[in-house]
Amino acid sequence: MTVRFTLNGKPVSISTAPHRRLLDVLREELNLTGTKEGCGIGECGACTVLVNGRAVNSCLVLIGQVEDASVTTIEGLADGANLRPLQRNFMRAGAVQCGFCTPGILLAAHALLSENPQPTEEQVAAAIAGNLCRCTGYKQIIEAVMLTAQERSAE
Amino acid sequence: MIPRFDFIRPHSLDEALTVLAKNSETVTVIAGGTDVIPGMQQGDVRFCATQTVLDVHHLTELRSVIKDGAGWRLGAALTFSEIAAHARIRAEFPLLAQAAASIGSVQIRNRATIAGNFVNNAACADSVPPLLVYDARVHVRSLKGEREVPLAEFLLAPNITVLARDELVTEVLLPAVPSGYAGRFFKLGRRRGIAVSRITLALLLKMNASAVADVRIAGGAVTPIGARFPELESSVRGKTASENLWASLAQDLGKAVLERTGLRWSSAYKLPVLQQALFGMLCDLSSARHA
Repeated sequence: MTVRFTLNGKPVSISTAPHRRLLDVLREELNLTGTKEGCGIGECGACTVLVNGRAVNSCLVLIGQVEDASVTTIEGLADGANLRPLQRNFMRAGAVQCGFCTPGILLAAHALLSENPQPTEEQVAAAIAGNLCRCTGYKQIIEAVMLTAQERSAE
Repeated sequence: MIPRFDFIRPHSLDEALTVLAKNSETVTVIAGGTDVIPGMQQGDVRFCATQTVLDVHHLTELRSVIKDGAGWRLGAALTFSEIAAHARIRAEFPLLAQAAASIGSVQIRNRATIAGNFVNNAACADSVPPLLVYDARVHVRSLKGEREVPLAEFLLAPNITVLARDELVTEVLLPAVPSGYAGRFFKLGRRRGIAVSRITLALLLKMNASAVADVRIAGGAVTPIGARFPELESSVRGKTASENLWASLAQDLGKAVLERTGLRWSSAYKLPVLQQALFGMLCDLSSARHA
């Protein structure tokens, strides 16, 4: 089966088996290993990517379902070699420890800020409720997102 | 590991129905995939005969919100994010909007669909109790024709519905709610994100001065399938609302659940919580506490 979609801004066309999940194709066929597999059943959010700008679990999407869609992975979040303010603030706030959940949380937070540039702390917490982090306790992650929103409003 | 299958992405509803008619025994329909994909991943027997997966998530025929004389027609493949954000649905069917906003996580709500929530008839489907108190009807199509079934009759037993193998749910119909009804939705899970519900309750109440004009109660996760409690509803119609009436109704709900499920390991915990929740919601709605 051939599937055509846009990946991190560039058109791709890939021949693969129809039972493959978006997650499998990203990691094993396109070598984009920034997207992590945690639980594989939609509970941990480590495999979060954006499909048409919205956060989804790539373990719950069959590759054929992204035909004609626009997919953004963590590899496509930075602007070339320059990290986004959200990514820099994750480092500043100490929101990264082991790092396994980080790609998924960055994309979930990025989707939130695109839709709602000035969220409340509660809205940030709700937006990342589908992402498990066993290191940070979430406080630093929420701080990093709030900091990014504050910087934007100050601009 | 997901077993191998063919994947079909039809261009229209008619094409989807044709695929279903030809291969009804071996086709699994997928929309959001949040139930089917992890089910396949975990080797669920529901999908062991699957040779073809038919994706209907993108079909425009299944994605509209239309108001007509009979009420509102919600496309079967609307996602819970879309339902939770829809201003008119929030205004007219707030319990459904609240349930939609509480399901899974952002990632799940961005994919999971309203029909997908009940076609597998899981007891813990959060949108089912609100749909039941709103007297939702299910519109079903196949190549042979179409029919409309009340959701309460569509749901037969755990994992079993009246849907035939060549049929597809295309719309959920919600009759306009007559004026005077107020409602509450309650959900209890083990945590807030991604929780599989332990208890859900949807309640609609209409008062006529101090008397109960109508009450509609539906539960999820406390009975084998999501269900209304008609015998409880009729027991209080016409009676004067009071804290005592609500307390005895809440007690009766506990008894009714026990009758339907039998004693379970969770009963000692669930039943008092369920009774308190209903009592609190009724008092809140009728302000009987202050009467």
